[in-house]
This record gives sequence, C-alpha cells and structure tokens, in this order.
Amino acid sequence: MAMAMAMGEKPRKLLVLYASQTGNALDAAERIGREAERRGCPASIVSTDEFDASYLPHEEAVVFVVSTTGQGDSPDSFKSFWKFLLVRNLRKDWLQGVRFAVFGLGDSGYQKYNFVAKKLDKRLSGIGATTIIEKGLGDDQHPSGYEGTLDPWMLSLWSTLYQINPKYFPKGPDVKISQDDLIDQPKYRILYLKQEKLESTLLTDSDIIQRARGMSPGKLYKDKSKPDCFLKMTRNEVLTKAGSTKDVRHFEFQSVSSTIEYEVGDVVELLPSQNPSAIDAFIERCDLDPESFIIVGPRETENSGVNEEMNTQLPIKLKTFVELTMDVTSASPRRYFFEVMSFYATAEHEKERLQYFASPEGRDDLYNYNQKERRSILEVLEDFPSVQISFEWLVQLVPPLKPRAFSISSSPLAHPDQVHLTVSIVSWITPYKRTRKGLCSSWLASLTPEQEVHIPVWFHKGSLPAPPQSRPLILVGPGTGCAPFRGFIAERFVQAQSIPVAPVMFFFGCRNKDTDFLYRDFWEYHTREGGMLSEEMGGGFYTAFSRDQPKKVYVQHKIREMSKKVWDLLRDGAAIYVAGSSTKMPADVMSALEEIVSEEETGGSKEEASRRLKALEKAGMYNVEAWS
Amino acid sequence: MANQKTVLAVTDDVVLPVSSVLTIMAQLGNERFDPLIVTQASTINQFPLDSSSVDAVLAISKTSDFPSDKICGEFSRILKPGGTVFVCKNLEGQVEDMQQTIQRRVTLAGFLEPQCLDLKSIKLSTFSLSFGIKAKKPSWKIGSSFALKKPAKVLLKVNLDDDLDLIDEDSLLTEEDLKKPQLPVASGCATTKKACKNCVCGRAEIEEKAVKLGLTEDQIENPQSSCGSCGLGDAFRCGTCPYKGLPAFKLGEKVTLSRNFLEADI
Repeated sequence: MAMAMAMGEKPRKLLVLYASQTGNALDAAERIGREAERRGCPASIVSTDEFDASYLPHEEAVVFVVSTTGQGDSPDSFKSFWKFLLVRNLRKDWLQGVRFAVFGLGDSGYQKYNFVAKKLDKRLSGIGATTIIEKGLGDDQHPSGYEGTLDPWMLSLWSTLYQINPKYFPKGPDVKISQDDLIDQPKYRILYLKQEKLESTLLTDSDIIQRARGMSPGKLYKDKSKPDCFLKMTRNEVLTKAGSTKDVRHFEFQSVSSTIEYEVGDVVELLPSQNPSAIDAFIERCDLDPESFIIVGPRETENSGVNEEMNTQLPIKLKTFVELTMDVTSASPRRYFFEVMSFYATAEHEKERLQYFASPEGRDDLYNYNQKERRSILEVLEDFPSVQISFEWLVQLVPPLKPRAFSISSSPLAHPDQVHLTVSIVSWITPYKRTRKGLCSSWLASLTPEQEVHIPVWFHKGSLPAPPQSRPLILVGPGTGCAPFRGFIAERFVQAQSIPVAPVMFFFGCRNKDTDFLYRDFWEYHTREGGMLSEEMGGGFYTAFSRDQPKKVYVQHKIREMSKKVWDLLRDGAAIYVAGSSTKMPADVMSALEEIVSEEETGGSKEEASRRLKALEKAGMYNVEAWS
Repeated sequence: MANQKTVLAVTDDVVLPVSSVLTIMAQLGNERFDPLIVTQASTINQFPLDSSSVDAVLAISKTSDFPSDKICGEFSRILKPGGTVFVCKNLEGQVEDMQQTIQRRVTLAGFLEPQCLDLKSIKLSTFSLSFGIKAKKPSWKIGSSFALKKPAKVLLKVNLDDDLDLIDEDSLLTEEDLKKPQLPVASGCATTKKACKNCVCGRAEIEEKAVKLGLTEDQIENPQSSCGSCGLGDAFRCGTCPYKGLPAFKLGEKVTLSRNFLEADI
C-alpha cells in the first residue's frame, strides 16, 4: 500500500485515484493518466481500494475519478476510502498543500446524479485541499456519454496546472499526437512456450479457469479467479405466457463439484460461454495460433523492472485464454482501441476513419457507431479488415469477459443442494435496427439439462441480508424482483415447521395478470391457510397489474392502500426489502413509505419520516437491490 | 587547499605536551592545524576566545568531572558551526557508564551526532587514552538561514473497524444538488434514437415489431451508392444512409445478410 519508490524512478507529479464499478471510471482514469504522461508529467493510476488514504497529505496533485450508481451509491472499491475521509476529527487543514480535481461519472436520469463526486469535491475542500478546477460531471445522458464532458474538462485541467507551475508539463500544456508514430506501448507481454516445456499432468476445469483468469488484465483486485463451484442445469422453464413481450425463465441447478454454500438473498455470478464459431473467427481474423501455449504478464517498464514471476507461472492454451477472459462478441471496445487500431491500419480510408473516431471531433459519431450500437470487438475488427494488431494490444484492449450476477431465488433450507434463478432474457433492437441479445441470458436460455454443461460460478453477498425468522417483513418485488423473495418465503415456510415465525407482507407487480404473473401458483399457495402470506399468519399478498386497466397501477399504490397494516408491522420491528429492475421504482416505494410514516405518526413531518427511514437503512432494516 | 585549522586543546591536568596533541589529532584525522593549549581548565569560566572561532576542540582528561556542563557550553560557543569536539578520557574500570555520561553531557550542551571512539591504540609519551566522544556543533548560528524543508505531514492512522464518529455525508450536498437534475438533451424519450435499455414504456417492443429492412428489392439486388461509402460497412456510412445496419457489400452485387440477421430468435 505504501508508495516506496525504486531507485531511479521518476517521482510522480500527478496521482489519479479512481473508484470504478463497471470499468468506466477506470477507463477515464487511464485516459487522464495517458494524457498527462504524453505532456511529460509522470502520473500514477491507482484504485481507491489500493491506496491508503492516510498518505494523501504527501501528494502534491490528485485527480479523483469516481462513479455514482443509479441509486446514488459509491462503487464498492470506494467505501473504505470514503469512510476515512468522513471521520469527524480530521482537521480542517489536514490536506493543506494538496491540490485536487474531481471528475464524476453519472447519469442525469437519476435523482441522485453524481452524488459521489459532489460529496467528495465538497469534503476535500472542507479538509484543507485546494481545487485545481471545478468538478467535471460526466453524464450518460449526453450524446457522447461521459467523454463529452471529459474532453473539454481535461484541457482546462492541463492549462490550469500549467499556469500554477509550468514544470508540470515541460512540453507545454498542449500536445500534438503524431499521426505516424504510436507513442504508447502495450502494458502486457506474452511469453510463448515451446512444446517440450509443457507439463504432462491433466488439469481440471477449475484449475484451467483459475489459471486463465488469474493472468487476465481484467481481473479486479478482489476477484477470486478460482470458481466457488461448478453447476449443471437441471431445469429450464419458461415462466411468461404466450402474448407476453418478455421471456422470463426459471432455471434450476445442481452442483457437480463441491457442496453449494449460500444464504437466502445472496447473489450468484456465472461465467458465460462464448459462441465457439465467434471465437474461431476472432482467432483467425487476428492471425493467432489457437494451439500455442502462453503466459500473460505485465511488461517491464522503467518503473517496474523485469517481472521474474512470469518465468515460473504455468501456461495456458491461447484459445482457452481467449474463450475464458476476452469478450469478443458482447462488450464494446473503448475509444482508445480505435486510437491504437488507427496506427495499425494499412488501408488509407480505414486509417483516416479510425483517426477521426479517436479524435474529439469524431467522438459523437464514434458513440453512434460503437457504443449505441453495442458493436462487439469481432464486429469492429471485421469492419476494419486492414488492421493487424498484436496479441499484446488485444489482451490489453479487448474488454474482459465478465461474470453476470443474479439474485438467487431459492433457499438452502427449502431447496437443499440446489440453486434457482429467475432470469429475464435480454434482447433489443439497436438504432440501426440490428437485433442484439444479452450474452449470458441468451446462452442460459439455450441450455438444456441433457447437454450437462458445467458452469463456473461464484457466490457472494448482495444487498439483501437474510432475515431471522422472528422479524416481520415488508417485501416489494415487482417483475424479476420477486426472485430473492421466493427464497425468503420458501425458507420461512420450512422454519415455521419447528418455530414460530413473524408475518410477511409481499407486494408484487407486473404488466398483465395473464401473461407475466411470475410464480403465481407459489404465491397463491402461500395466501391459503398455513401459508406465509396468509391473513391468519398476519401477512398478505398484494398485486399491481399495471396494464390490466386504463389507469397505471404500481406497487407503490398498493403499498399506500395498505397504509395501516404497513405501519403496524413497522412498529413491530419489520424490515423492508425492495428488489427489482427499474430506475424509478425504489425511489417511488421510498416516497410511498415516507408518506405512510408521516401520516400515521400524529404530527409527523415528511422530513422526520425521511430521517426515520434513513435510520432504518443505516441499521440494515431497509435494504434495496436494484439492477438495470 | 584548506586553511590552517584552529584547534583548542584543553585539559584539567597541569601539563599537556604539544606533541601529544599533534599525535592525537593526527590519529583523529586532522592534519594541518594551529593548536592552542589551555591547561588546568577545570575552573575556567570562559575561554579567552571569540565565539565561533575555533574549528575543533580537543578535551583530554583523566577525571570524570571534566569537562563540566558549563565548559561544554563554552566549547559550543567558541566552536564554529559544523565544528567538532573530541572529549578524550583515560579511565580505568566502568567505561560504558562514563561514555554515556559524557555523551549525555555533550548532547545537552547542544552537540549533535555523538560517536564513541576507541583510543587505546594511540601511542603517547606521558599518558594514554581509553576512549573518546566525538560530536558536532550544529551548522547554523544565530542569524544564519537555510531552506526550510516541507513540514513533515503527520501520518494519520485510523482504525476503520471501530465505531467512528463520522460526519453526515448528506450534509455535503447543497440545495442545488438535491434538485432534480436537468437532462442535457430535449426532454422526452421520443427524441432519442432508440428505446432506453430498461425501457418500461413499451417502445422497445414496438421497435422490435417494426420492419427490419426498409430497403426496396432493387436496393438489395443492385445496390448503388453516390457517395461511394455505403458498401464499406456501418463504420463509414453517413447518418442517413439507407444501408445502415447491413453488412458491407460490393456495389452492384446483391447485398447478403450476415449471421447477425440470420440468427434465429430463441
């Protein structure tokens, strides 16, 4: 964690600290670092979960690049760092002498737009640091995304830093990128192994995955490369009825490796398989030898020296590495990929076009062609056939294959040795009218139990902690949001066989009762005598079918209808859980609850109600899992 | 070459031969110098020397009391900044205690970097030495200036596992921040090119049902392009190109559909 410097290393002038959830802030941070280096200013790019905040006073200039999620939350990698900065006892001049600038990535479609960046900017000033320039707020709603704001903000940053001290940029604040020479070098190097040096032992699937993913640049600091276990599908059932616009599946899985260990409400991450013909097409297009054995490691630089470790690492087949770690058919490349491609294009019109795409002038057009259309790496390479790019660059620039997370809809008590998932199959039409499908959901939908495909998975905690059986529950889960609550209710039912359990109120919503009423039989079973949602148990089941009548009815309306009962349960110590895929739903539900609290409490105000609910949140009694 | 250095040799003894001083100083690493010798110095209040005038001081004694605190202070006064003091002793018995005492005395008088030297090997005619303490006078005098180093920042260690008193982060937001943010483009999703990813209003379904290929049969059979870019693929097409979304093709040849379009909807 300390920044001990090797002998002869140039001390950095600029520290770029980033907090990234999905990789966007990391990209922006790398871009800022690159632009600084191009101007002769040594920079370091470090994630906030790898930097000890107590060393901040030693820095002379820091640029923060922080993302805000839809619900206004900070990335996981930011939480510890932020907590440190919030300590009340920090002196008002603790960061005296430290200059900073904040760039935020957010979405103005959400109420809590760029809250993380705004709070950080304010707090840094409050503990003595000096702003270089005003905070930049990148916006997904902008025609070219956050880059639309980043480009001009960076120019302002460089010119201001230059004014403060020309030594920052010995070459001046502006730099012309040579059209002919690529200044940068790939960050990774590939060792190709001779056939004789290979081990003869057979590797298990688990070992192979661990080896490949352990080498991959896409590996995040806290990721586990080795899967927790392998699952095979035992059931693939369509839940939505004919006539529905959606395709939602119920999947069941069993383990084929170690025992399954999770708690109700947890999240499981699956590593999807990629289309084999797409992998072959990519390998052929890039002129690679699929059967060669490789080791991937960081390239030596003046700062890091030769990486001796690489000589003792174990190799992996190139094709396997591509399959398991490089996303060639789904994720879109970043702007930097186009910049690097432009140097390797031999056809003149391709080179020009790529240079245009990588320039500030061509940014919007690039956004339309690439990001909005969700072009895959393979598609881009096929659109620019004269580009021959080395594997080192590909390893760095091809988006990493990411596992996809799902809320588990089963309970270990009620469904021992099984994992159930409720998955909406993602598919949409692009602006150019091409059909795109979600990689993981489509792949899962195509699987059958007979194929016996082994799926590598990781379990981890989500935002919904498993409730004790004695706690009353208010559950709000429209659409696929009902998934974790199926687990909650199934679990409580088993618990009820031996111990008394507290009541459960469950609010469900969907468009039409007839077509997308997921798990209808299950909920209705529990409304009958002895069920967890029955009246006699003190609970209830409430449905909002938004399109079954002219007026839209949503879960928040149903919650308001049941004001009295909700309030009674809250007074009995109920915990609130909200889950679902929607931008506005969690905020609407919060509003409805605030209204209930302020009304039922005689003399209560909206502010007081808001405070009460926030306190519940802090105490872990108000939990939201929202996905997009 | 270096100027003649001034060295003051002091002892509480009655006699101190110059040759001894020269030998000792030579052993301690000083070659050319001008020695001044003061004997019976235990009762001296002040040396008849100007402040900061002497390069080195050599104090030789067989007793434990000499040099006293007061005399050490005098050494400090007459020494030039950066000058060296050598306190040499000939004592039997507990050398360590005496070493420590002298070191402390010398440090209290304001000297820096005290070092202990073994002097048993120095051959002298009339007496012998056991050990010596060497120390340096700090290199500033009143009125001299030097660059101040950046004030050392205290490393703040906070244990985040404890229940800390944190400020309320929401208090960092202004009224302006809490208002609903302004969207950068004209409001309403009707103006965006496609339905949102999380489309809840149904536009996505409508778009899905729309006709995929808006081209005439002739445009597919015999594609023409006045700009010349249509055949190169989406990367090169204009915003209004009718062939947008289709794969690359050669002008005049029938437009083929790539696997994107032929993929069956599961």
